Amino acid sequence: MKTIRVIAIKEVREIFRDGRFRAASATVLVLLLAAFAAGWKHQADVDAQHRAAQMETREQWVSQGEKNPHSAAHYGVYAFLPRNMLSMVDTGVYPYTGVAVWLEAHRQNGLLHRPAQDGTTIQRFGQLTAATVLQLLIPLMIILLAFGAYAGERERGTLTQLFSLGIDRRKLAVGKALGVSTALAMLLVPAAFAGVAALMSTSGSGELAGNTARILAMAAAYLLYFGVFVALSIGISAWTSSSRSALLILLSFWIANGLVAPRLVSEVAATVWPTPSSVEFNAALDADLADRTEMDAELERVREELLAAHGVSDLSELPVNFLGLSFQAGEDHANAVFDEHWNGLFDTFERQNGLQKKLSFVAPVLAIRSLSMALAGADFSHHRDFVDAAEGYRRDLQRRLNAEIESHPVAPGETYLADAELWEAIPTFEYRAPGVGWVLRNHVWSLVVLGVWFGVSILACSTAARRVRPV
Amino acid sequence: MLKAKGLTKRYNGTVALDSLDLEIGPGEVFCLLGANGAGKTTTINLFLNFVEPTSGTATINGLDVTQHPIETKKSVAYIPEQVMLYRNLTGIENLEYFSALAGHTYPSLALLGFLDQAGLDQDAAARRMAVYSKGMRQKVGIAIAIAKKAGALLLDEPTSGLDPKASNEFSELLKKLSASGVAVLMATHDLFRAKETGTRVGIMKHGQLVAAHETKDLGHQDLERIYLEHMRD
Repeated sequence: MKTIRVIAIKEVREIFRDGRFRAASATVLVLLLAAFAAGWKHQADVDAQHRAAQMETREQWVSQGEKNPHSAAHYGVYAFLPRNMLSMVDTGVYPYTGVAVWLEAHRQNGLLHRPAQDGTTIQRFGQLTAATVLQLLIPLMIILLAFGAYAGERERGTLTQLFSLGIDRRKLAVGKALGVSTALAMLLVPAAFAGVAALMSTSGSGELAGNTARILAMAAAYLLYFGVFVALSIGISAWTSSSRSALLILLSFWIANGLVAPRLVSEVAATVWPTPSSVEFNAALDADLADRTEMDAELERVREELLAAHGVSDLSELPVNFLGLSFQAGEDHANAVFDEHWNGLFDTFERQNGLQKKLSFVAPVLAIRSLSMALAGADFSHHRDFVDAAEGYRRDLQRRLNAEIESHPVAPGETYLADAELWEAIPTFEYRAPGVGWVLRNHVWSLVVLGVWFGVSILACSTAARRVRPV
Repeated sequence: MLKAKGLTKRYNGTVALDSLDLEIGPGEVFCLLGANGAGKTTTINLFLNFVEPTSGTATINGLDVTQHPIETKKSVAYIPEQVMLYRNLTGIENLEYFSALAGHTYPSLALLGFLDQAGLDQDAAARRMAVYSKGMRQKVGIAIAIAKKAGALLLDEPTSGLDPKASNEFSELLKKLSASGVAVLMATHDLFRAKETGTRVGIMKHGQLVAAHETKDLGHQDLERIYLEHMRD
């Protein structure tokens, strides 16, 4: 252990005396803090806007005055997607999926106001988030720190000096890995503290405590990811004959991992599981909604049964308001169509994501990207969970309003009007995102992939380090 | 202390070292002379187990270097033609690092003492290796050997490229070390330095040790004559 410590301390000392490292780490630190700051500002703004909008929509709902419940159903309410505090680190699919949904009668709407729609042209080239820095720039920095670990020493001649001491090769490799990791930690730990401070300032210590498990899981996943790069960089450095070759191989891997694989795998997933355009989707949805033959027949059957059961010949003589039943039948018909189309679309997205997850063994970034956005509550599964919850609320709301109409029969020509008592009795939409256990269960494969990458990298590093020849 | 028995190394059929038999005891300085490619560096690399022998054995303190690669290196110090150290560390930091890896932890004062013994003053010790001359680096190499308390020294052209003064200082240091019981095997082209420093000289040619003499029996001119005779064949 002492030997490992001595090697690690020397590595850190050398790294910190290297002006290139100081410049690179300052750049990465600035980028990371800038990403945190941008995320913090955005999160604070969005939270404030959502809180205000949510209060306003509730206020509008309860103060809409006397109104037929079906008119209120068309008036509708907005549900706002609450962002997990960790989406400050990883925005995931959030910029592309919208932030609010209008919950109205007869229609399951998609989410509105996608942040990406408001983006400038330059933002389309890529948004700087802490996740981008962690997934792309930190690995690049690890490569720059470690590519010369062995190859550089061999070129400078210090490796023969080292090996003439009878040093244990495994300890040398571990010491070098620990040195690189320590140097990296000196950069990341202050950034992590800044990040936690930012999280606390936007969300408060209560929400922070509630997300502790997510934060720890995210930190562990990123450590595993960085570990892959540390082990791989040192292994390649030990395996190659020159630092130039080591750098070339590692940079090629970095490009393949960070830039090529994500796009390639997305394309493959979209080709295998194609999704309709929004025009096609809406056209198919509207066509099925318009086909009311079955629903009308069912409604007619219910009408006949009701009239017979109550021994009356006209709907106005019924002890219930048939309009309420009719509206609900319309909802039930539409809900079945929505389930088929929206679930079909979402299932396709899930299949695309599933295929991407399965293919993540080709590049560790795919696994960490998937885990990171899930732990930040910003992946598609979280989006779907919110959409399902909002849709569930919409259907309950419609059912309640239609039941209210049904229980208030009116004379022909009259309309039942409900007042604030009913509006206030309807609860506000509250959404709680699933817990970390749900996330991890959904991402077992990503965890396995990261674990396998880590294990293989360690094995490769260990084998290469054992075979290093000083001359 | 250092012993080679039938030590042979072939690279793809080319003989680099052919059945070397050699024994160097404590206090002896054996200088290996020979042209480039004669097998001097191969001999040292075999003692360091940097390359595997094709046949024969190299032992240090009775231990086979291939079977005990770590233990045998604990009692030997190596100084190559160019002592290469870490540019971003100072002389004393390099010494501290290599000593610690060899299993010796010393206070700063002791480290400065080793550097002083090797001929490096305190000011130089505090400077980064990037500004060191070759002579200064060789002195740090000697200091590492002293701090390691090595019983044997393997030197591969250690004075090559040094100015006469630095070369002479280096020889004096070697003499001091051998006087303290250290066994030294030095590969060199420098006949004068070999005669001055060595207790024995061996001449290598095409991987074979073709001659070995006690230096006390030879004058400078004798050594030069013998060497040239062997090179002429």
